[in-house]
Amino acid sequence: MSSLPRRIIKETQRLMQEPVPGINAIPDENNARYFHVIVTGPNDSPFEGGVFKLELFLPEDYPMSAPKVRFITKIYHPNIDRLGRICLDVLKDKWSPALQIRTILLSIQALLSAPNPDDPLANDVAELWKVNEAEAIRNAREWTQKYAVED
Amino acid sequence: MGNCLKINSSDDISLLRGSESVHRQNSGPLPMFQNEQYQQIFFPSPSTSIGHAPIAGHSQLSEEDQVKIAKRIGLMQHLPIGTYDGSSKKSRECVICMAEFCVDEAVRYLPCMHIYHVKCIDDWLMRSLTCPSCLEPVDAALLTSYETT
Repeated sequence: MSSLPRRIIKETQRLMQEPVPGINAIPDENNARYFHVIVTGPNDSPFEGGVFKLELFLPEDYPMSAPKVRFITKIYHPNIDRLGRICLDVLKDKWSPALQIRTILLSIQALLSAPNPDDPLANDVAELWKVNEAEAIRNAREWTQKYAVED
Repeated sequence: MGNCLKINSSDDISLLRGSESVHRQNSGPLPMFQNEQYQQIFFPSPSTSIGHAPIAGHSQLSEEDQVKIAKRIGLMQHLPIGTYDGSSKKSRECVICMAEFCVDEAVRYLPCMHIYHVKCIDDWLMRSLTCPSCLEPVDAALLTSYETT
């Protein structure tokens, strides 16, 4: 494996030194391009109180291409499918090398506060979110309690 | 004036080289060394998006792709290159590689006046003709004139 680019080393150091509130990203001890991520559910969202595990991988051509991020913890969200894949523009066509691990994780945190059922990835969830938002939010709360709250 | 050339005229080859380099310098806005940089950038880096197999050379690209790449290189050559002068108004760090600019280091200026290391930004511009910092299209006017011709 080629040596780790200085940018990745710098980003990792800054993530450790100045962590983002509600976000924790730690590189794997065997692979510095793989991060174990924890995002806490934002206040005033149906995900409040939840602790969500994600995995983040920096591909070989990072930062020319976006990090790959996936929820490991099950989550009821119109833009996140049952495999944990995330529909987010900055992870796809709106990626820019000026973005960082930090900004991507902040965007994901913001997505939890502001679900967007008009650009769905989980179609059944998005559909319910549009026709009966109250029930969808109730489901999201239940799933948060069931899968994202440790006893 | 012109005596220097005449002195060398006994040696045909050196004269030929001399006139050729003069011609090239006058014909294009960029000095020769930049073409060499492009070679370093283009052949290794597009391979990452094309596939796993190592690319033997650009012969595997379709003619259409080669034309596309050539057009894009042409467009990128219109973006000025300067040297970083360390003035405080400019950003100190290249946001792509996150390394600090060194004084006299070659940087490319985008129309929005954001600056990057030439190697860093050229790698990105081959993928997207936008400024990484402000997402401004690099030059809409130039772009349309290139895409339509």
